[in-house]
Amino acid sequence: MMSLTIIWIALPLFIGLTIYLLPKLDRYLALATVLMSFGYGLNLFSSQTSQKFQLLDNFGVSFWVDSLSSQFILTNALVTGAVILYSSFQNKTAFFYSQAIILHGSVNAVFICADFMSLYVALEVIGVAAFLLVSYPRSDRALWVALRYLFVSNTSMLFYLIGAILVYQANHSFAFTGLANAPPEAIALIFLGLLSKGGVFVSGLWLPLTHSESESPVSALLSGSVVKAGVFPLLRCALLMDELLPVVQILGISTSFFGIIYALFEKDAKRILALSTISQLGWMMVAPMVAGVYALAHGLVKSLLFLASGALPTRDLDELQVKPMYSGLWLILLVGGLSMSGCPGFLGFSAKVSTLKSLSDWPEIFMNVSSVGTALIFGKFIFLPHKWQGGHLKPGLIVAALLLIVSLLVGNVLYLQAYSLANLGKALAVIGLGWLGYWLFIKRQDLKLPRMFEQFDNLIGSMSLVLIVLFWMVFT
Amino acid sequence: MLEACILATVLIGFIGIIVKPNLLMKIIAMDVMSTGAIAYYVFISSRDGLSSPIFNQETPLQYADPVPQAVILTAIVIGFSIQALMLVGAMKLAHHNPTLETNEIEDNNTP
Repeated sequence: MMSLTIIWIALPLFIGLTIYLLPKLDRYLALATVLMSFGYGLNLFSSQTSQKFQLLDNFGVSFWVDSLSSQFILTNALVTGAVILYSSFQNKTAFFYSQAIILHGSVNAVFICADFMSLYVALEVIGVAAFLLVSYPRSDRALWVALRYLFVSNTSMLFYLIGAILVYQANHSFAFTGLANAPPEAIALIFLGLLSKGGVFVSGLWLPLTHSESESPVSALLSGSVVKAGVFPLLRCALLMDELLPVVQILGISTSFFGIIYALFEKDAKRILALSTISQLGWMMVAPMVAGVYALAHGLVKSLLFLASGALPTRDLDELQVKPMYSGLWLILLVGGLSMSGCPGFLGFSAKVSTLKSLSDWPEIFMNVSSVGTALIFGKFIFLPHKWQGGHLKPGLIVAALLLIVSLLVGNVLYLQAYSLANLGKALAVIGLGWLGYWLFIKRQDLKLPRMFEQFDNLIGSMSLVLIVLFWMVFT
Repeated sequence: MLEACILATVLIGFIGIIVKPNLLMKIIAMDVMSTGAIAYYVFISSRDGLSSPIFNQETPLQYADPVPQAVILTAIVIGFSIQALMLVGAMKLAHHNPTLETNEIEDNNTP
């Protein structure tokens, strides 16, 4: 298992460089790497093992593979696979595929590493690869959005570095387990880094602009798998230390409401999707034990919706209300919206049920309200007008959507116990309530939230505030 | 005292990123901040002693911990490459925004 893991983690980086040398084979090499990654994840998932490896001696790199990481790895493989299939029908250069594969490999590395230093390296590689992908169109706007992303992520990683050395000072090791003996400021600094990188709560305000202004395959990749790289270490820490679990849960609940409230007052389709990503990250953090299933459900749907949003005639929902879209495209949005709202039949339903089931009383109430909010947001997409005449779907979108939708249906086997009469009734009631809310309130309102807090200086400044809040949360 | 100076460097860099309006100055402020973080690693590793960790039978050594120094090399290289990428980005942006004032770039490039 150990040598297989090493080969699997090194291969994407190697292939990423090979794609440059053999640009004619770009998409095939990329697909082969993703397939291997998928196989590794599936193998890990079916064996249900939990193994830790230490390379070299005490101070070497340490890995930890278990079923939680396997679900995240499967998410990453499916999302990257769909994006590569989608892009192979467009004329993307070898540079795009090579960066996408390097990004894929570094996200995988996050899902298995068990010490703060290898995590740092993996997160920084993600930052650089994502920068290059976002700035791929080379327009001024793309460059600025990418630069802003790199700036925010690098600044937060500097705080993280200081936190990591404090952990080392307390334990003489960078392992995750050392966080238990570390001083509260170390935990606060490391959490700040991870929250900003993952796009959680206030630190995630960089996310809407970055995800909505990138090209649709890149947004699908970012929203589907890359943000999970910031959340995964938080989940690991919360599972390792019981004292941190309430901190992560409270952050999760606030995040899920934060994203929903922002998304309710938004009219831009891609921004709604990005804001809903923030709220869904909260769902993963609230129940770390079952976050893997939720990550899979969210990653598949979000990449599906982002890829579909690339084919929308316009991004403004008000215009889409008067200008019907092609029905085939609407069907894709419908499937995505239903799964996200937790409609029975899709993976989203099992994921929501298993998350709610693992919660204690008070978080469960909050998350039930939040799931009504999710149904409400996706009502905005589901009730758009559509017609069959005068339109077609691009072959790339059809292939990618088929892969994602089939995985959404097959994913149901992960948690078949979810299909009980009570759960089915509850899910339908939640969706009904959400849609009722949409028709009664949201469809008519015209309010817009200010975007002032998304300005660059405010993004960096809010880090200091988040740091103080985190310190207070950990300290008490 | 030394620790206070190092943490002050981090803080000055951080405040510089917020206060300076020019993109180039922001990038340099971030470099100042990363210098502070790197210096903190060196500081922590020299807590127990200053000499190199070479085994000596006659006199037991108070040696400096080599691990943080080794790992921070990675962070220096990463920081340097990110710096380079950012400067290339700033160069490209300077074609249409010669003053490189961030709020102007932001106004021109946000929907």
